[in-house]
Amino acid sequence: MSIQAIRTEENLITKEPYYEPVGNEVEVFAAAYRNQLPVLLKGPTGCGKTRFIEYMSWYLQRPMITVACHDDLTASDLIGRYLVKGGETVWVDGPLTSAARNGCICYLDEIVEARKDTSVVIHPLCDDRRLLPIEKLGELIQVPDTFCLAISYNPGYQSVMKDLKQSTKQRFVALEFDYPNADKEQTIVEREAEGIDSTIAAQLVKFGDMTRNLKGVGLEEGASTRLLVNAAKLILDGIPPVVATDSAVALALTDDVDMLKAVHELSRSVF
Amino acid sequence: MSEDQLANLLGEDPDQPAYNAAFAESFAALNLDDQKFIVKWFEIVGETDAALAAEFVNSAPGVFDELDHTGVEAWLMSALQAFDDEDLDKAHRLLAEPAEFIANYIYMHSRCTFESVSQFVQHFVIGLGGRELIITKFHEAYTDTEKIFLPDHIKDYPGPDLNFSVYKLTAVHLWAQARYGTWRFQVVETLGRISNNADAMAVFNRLECVRLDACIGRELPGIYRQFEALGYVSDEHKQAWQDFRDELSGLEEPTATALDSIALIEQYLDNSKRPLPVLKRYQAKMDLAAVRKAMTARINREKEAVQEALGELQRAIQQVIKGDDIEPLDDEEGRFTIVDADDQSRGDGPNVDLYYDDELIQMTPEIEDLMESIIQDFGEIPEQYMDGVARVPYASDQEADLGEEGFIPDPVQSADTIRYREWDYMRERFREGYCLMTELDVPPVDDNFVEVTLEKYRGLLKSIKKTFEVVLGESKLLRRQSQGDDIDIDALVEAQADFVSGQEMSDYVYTRYRNRERSVAVMFMVDMSGSTHGWINDAERESLILLSEALETLGDRYAIYGFSGKTNKRCETYRVKRFDESYSSMVRQRISGIRSKGFTRMGVAIRHLGHLLNMSRARTKILITLSDGRPEDYDAYRGRYAVEDTRHALQELRHEGIHSFCITIDKEAQDYLPHMYGAGNYAVIHEVQKLPVKVADIYRRLTTL
Repeated sequence: MSIQAIRTEENLITKEPYYEPVGNEVEVFAAAYRNQLPVLLKGPTGCGKTRFIEYMSWYLQRPMITVACHDDLTASDLIGRYLVKGGETVWVDGPLTSAARNGCICYLDEIVEARKDTSVVIHPLCDDRRLLPIEKLGELIQVPDTFCLAISYNPGYQSVMKDLKQSTKQRFVALEFDYPNADKEQTIVEREAEGIDSTIAAQLVKFGDMTRNLKGVGLEEGASTRLLVNAAKLILDGIPPVVATDSAVALALTDDVDMLKAVHELSRSVF
Repeated sequence: MSEDQLANLLGEDPDQPAYNAAFAESFAALNLDDQKFIVKWFEIVGETDAALAAEFVNSAPGVFDELDHTGVEAWLMSALQAFDDEDLDKAHRLLAEPAEFIANYIYMHSRCTFESVSQFVQHFVIGLGGRELIITKFHEAYTDTEKIFLPDHIKDYPGPDLNFSVYKLTAVHLWAQARYGTWRFQVVETLGRISNNADAMAVFNRLECVRLDACIGRELPGIYRQFEALGYVSDEHKQAWQDFRDELSGLEEPTATALDSIALIEQYLDNSKRPLPVLKRYQAKMDLAAVRKAMTARINREKEAVQEALGELQRAIQQVIKGDDIEPLDDEEGRFTIVDADDQSRGDGPNVDLYYDDELIQMTPEIEDLMESIIQDFGEIPEQYMDGVARVPYASDQEADLGEEGFIPDPVQSADTIRYREWDYMRERFREGYCLMTELDVPPVDDNFVEVTLEKYRGLLKSIKKTFEVVLGESKLLRRQSQGDDIDIDALVEAQADFVSGQEMSDYVYTRYRNRERSVAVMFMVDMSGSTHGWINDAERESLILLSEALETLGDRYAIYGFSGKTNKRCETYRVKRFDESYSSMVRQRISGIRSKGFTRMGVAIRHLGHLLNMSRARTKILITLSDGRPEDYDAYRGRYAVEDTRHALQELRHEGIHSFCITIDKEAQDYLPHMYGAGNYAVIHEVQKLPVKVADIYRRLTTL
């Protein structure tokens, strides 16, 4: 077996990823891309934001670089740094610089998690200047027209410490994502877990809908499409439906005993 | 066990009179664990009293037949307790005649109580969808289409698990009545006209059961299986229902409605010809009068709400069309129509589209919920709901009306009175200096409320404090420090690289653990409007006490103010605790003294308290509102006007860097809170009793990363 390494900036998606458009998000993104506008994806977890970006990367035929942001991610993690190699120092581009030089789509997932100083590099990149300052090199990169910055964030977080600043938000074209309607969601479950019985898929979607009724009443978030797909995959593999929904959905949603019991029972009433 | 022990227990010799053959037989029938248990306790009890031990051994195998291990232990312990209490008679009686204890024990341990299931059932029913029905305790089960009443306990089965299932199934059956049209408006009207109502309702109840079970069978097959498994008391019962169903196959069609059931009532009214089957276990009585009462109130409420909401929508649309000119509407102008949606698979929402003239309009969540509830009542949106939309008066008209009533409260003006502006969304302007705000003190009340609360929540308070301490103790690894406990390899490599490339080497190459310094100031704004009277007020006060106790651990700066008032001339905030005040006995007495007052003019209170909060020095400033409903005042301050003013006030705070969060118990809050506070900045609590727990939990989550 040979393992082939691909440089991230050359990671071109050749096979069309499965994506079910809900509204006109594909057109809006494409238009934003043509006009060199950065894009902000809003929406609850597991509703297809990352898949959408993959699809757009394929659609626009641009390589994509994804950065999952975390709370220790600093500006230099994005831009790059000097490394010592054999007594000499070598500059290594960070993902953002690499995307900027090569005109890729750069996707910063869950941007609110990153440190505040990342906004320093994001801001000049996102207005009409389209500049990426690399302080350590003393360079200023004028990014090519094919470069596109996309960020995602979930406004549902209940910690006031995690919010996107207006000055950042207002530089983006925003696209809102939500869970698809029952028919679409069933199609998605059937496509993602190929071979699943369509009755079971419909029941899974119904169950997902039930958990979403509980959002804000005891659950912070209802079951995402991703969780339903996971459950469908387990069912395909021979796990009984109620066990699959317990493991793939209920336990992932809550730790509260009463609530867990309610979600368990809901799945038992659907299947 | 040893031979000696056995001999000791059973007697030495089969020939001796002490040897009890019957006992030996029943003893031999027990499993080894139970035998060991008996032998062990025979010896222990024997140390205390030999006669008691003998009685225990004699009865024990019999008790083991009836009770599990824990039950037997409880039986023995209660006897020993009686012995220790020197009630010898009772001890001997308990051991010699265990029947009474067994009966009692089974009764106590097999039933399932309302308290143990209510939380679960509430979540479950909300999860099922449709109008949110509230679970309430009553001596018998029924629904009035707003609430589901469930009995104090259920003991149909000899085990708590099955009884729990019966609770659940009863709730589902009642939910199905509301969901699948048993109580549609037309149905309720028709039922009301039937004479000999009690008998007719009994028949209707059974007919509907057949129809609803079929609905459940289609939608919730899992529940249907449980219906079939647990619904009947005997095989004959099941057969009786089967026969009944066979006659009524039409009712099981997906197209059958409650009106079809009504049409069949007549033929079953004469009981002697066709005996009705006994109610299933999960069935409940039907209370037509209660349904009518709840429904009439709801229909009026929702009709008004729809028209108001649509009126606002219409004005908003016209504003877009005409630009900024706001003119009264003519009746000839555009009209709303409701059309069944093409896409019938939208999951839970109402399957209708709203059109304004010929244009499809996006419904707000508020309108969507209303539509759904109305469809549950009527099966459609009645035409007349769309009429009269334009006649809803303007806020300013309402104001004029008020003047004629002659009610203007005396302005309470003093040196403390501050004027605040108010946002008028119609004019898109502020009404400068419109509200007069006075700050008053809550009169302290020296009762034992604080002590009682602390006692009541002793356990909870401990756990709240503990979780808060965890927040406090949370340490974070700080990177790139000039001094610290460990080397930051990343930083060092970078510094080295800088050094080699000829740049200045950074000193910041250490990591250090440090407790995050908290710099949080919180303002609690407590709704003291008239609607909080009673248990809501109690829950608010309890929450404040628990939170204050816990906040003392955390060391956050906090203040508590109540707010209320009547019209713009008399807005009041009530000091409970200022930022610079310590949590003294005076503060405790003031919390205890919080009472419900007038109305809920929220905007001005937010502006005033936000101003106070802004003067405190902290990195993070949060305004938390405890409320029970939407903003509303005696005058025109209601509906969209009130919501928009409140929203504007909150936005003003946001610009100042103050975060706001709302905790409410209004179950309709989802309709307006997201608009006012923003997604994720509110929490709706369904059970008032849970308020104290939740408030502390939310606070912790809010102020930690």
